[in-house]
Amino acid sequence: MAAAPMREDAGGWYLYGVVAADAEAPGGAPSVDPANGVVSLGEGPVAALASRVSLVEFDEETLPQRLADAGWLEEKIRAHEQVLEAALASTTVVPCRFCTVYRSEEDLRAFLAGHADELRDALATLEGRVELGVKALVDPARFSAELEAASQATSGRAYLEARREEQRLGAELVRFQGELAANLHERLLAAAEDGVSLALQSREVSGRDEEMLFNGAYLVGDREKFEEALAEAAQGAREHGVELELTGPWPPYNFVPAELGRP
Amino acid sequence: MSSRELDGYRSGQPAQLADVLERVLDKGIVIAGDIQINLLDIELLTVKIRLLIASADKAKEMGIDWWNGDPFLSGRNGQSGLEDRLRRLEEKAGLPTSEEG
Repeated sequence: MAAAPMREDAGGWYLYGVVAADAEAPGGAPSVDPANGVVSLGEGPVAALASRVSLVEFDEETLPQRLADAGWLEEKIRAHEQVLEAALASTTVVPCRFCTVYRSEEDLRAFLAGHADELRDALATLEGRVELGVKALVDPARFSAELEAASQATSGRAYLEARREEQRLGAELVRFQGELAANLHERLLAAAEDGVSLALQSREVSGRDEEMLFNGAYLVGDREKFEEALAEAAQGAREHGVELELTGPWPPYNFVPAELGRP
Repeated sequence: MSSRELDGYRSGQPAQLADVLERVLDKGIVIAGDIQINLLDIELLTVKIRLLIASADKAKEMGIDWWNGDPFLSGRNGQSGLEDRLRRLEEKAGLPTSEEG
C-alpha cells in the first residue's frame, strides 16, 4: 500500500460533449484518463460522450496543482479536443468546455434529462453543418518594405515630417486591416449559416513570421459554396500580400449556447 | 503546401495548439449546476491556466501564450470592465494581480 494518504475516490464523469441518443461513442481517441475509455450514456433523445475520471485528479482544490504541470494540461486539452474530433467524423456533437466534470452518473443523467429540449435543439441547429476557421495573415516584411520605401521618398525632409509620414502609414495599415476584416467577414458570412469574429493571435502564438489580420469561425452547411467564396476572397486578398488560411472542421464550439443550467 | 493551394488559400495544416485552446477554454457549453467544478471555478480555471502559462517557459515553447492577442487579458479595445473582473478573479484565486501588459 502506498504511503500517500488515500482519499476515497468514487470517481466522476468527464463530459466532452452531447450527441444524439443513437450515436455511438468514438473509438480510438485517447480520453483524459487513459485508464477509462469514452462511452456514450443515453438519456432520452440525447447521449453524453463521457469517460470516468478520478475526482482526486479533477478536484477543485487539487486542480491548480495539476495545472502547474504544463505537460498534464496540454495532454488533457488535446484529449478533450481529440475525443470531440473523433465523434465529429461520424455524428453531430455539441461540445462542452474543458473540465466539465460530474460527481456521479446520476448527476450527469439528471443534466441530460433536465436539458433534453435545449440539447436536442442545439443538435438540430448543428446537424449537417461544420465549424470552419478562417484567418488572414500578412507578411510584415512586405508592409515594412512599403513603409521603408515611403520613408526613403521623404529622406530629404525633416525628421519630424518623416515621422508624421510614418504615423500616417501606420494609421493607414490599421484602416486597411479594419476594412479587410469587415469585408472578408461579410463575404464569408454570406456563404455560411453563422459566423463570429475571434480574438487575433499574436505572432508568438502562431509561431510564424506573419501578422494576423483576421480570425473568424463559421458554421457552414454548404461547404462547396463556402470554399468558393473563400477562394474568391483569397484572390483579392493576395493582391495585397494577404494570405487566407482555412482550418477545421472543428467541433462547433463557437456555435452552441454559451451556458445551460443557470436558473 | 496543401491541395487547395490552387484555390488561393491554405488549408490542411494540423490544428495549432493556440486554435485548440481558444476554443476548448473559451467556447463550448458551460454547464452551471451540479458539477464538480462550478461556473466561477471554470472562469477561475481559465484565468489560472493563462497566468500559469504566461509564466512558464515550457509553455512558451509549446506556444501557449495566445492570450497576448486576447482583448480579455491584454485590455485592448478599452474593455476595462473585463480587466477589473480579471483582477477580482485573480484575487479570489490568491494569485498575484496581473499588471498592465
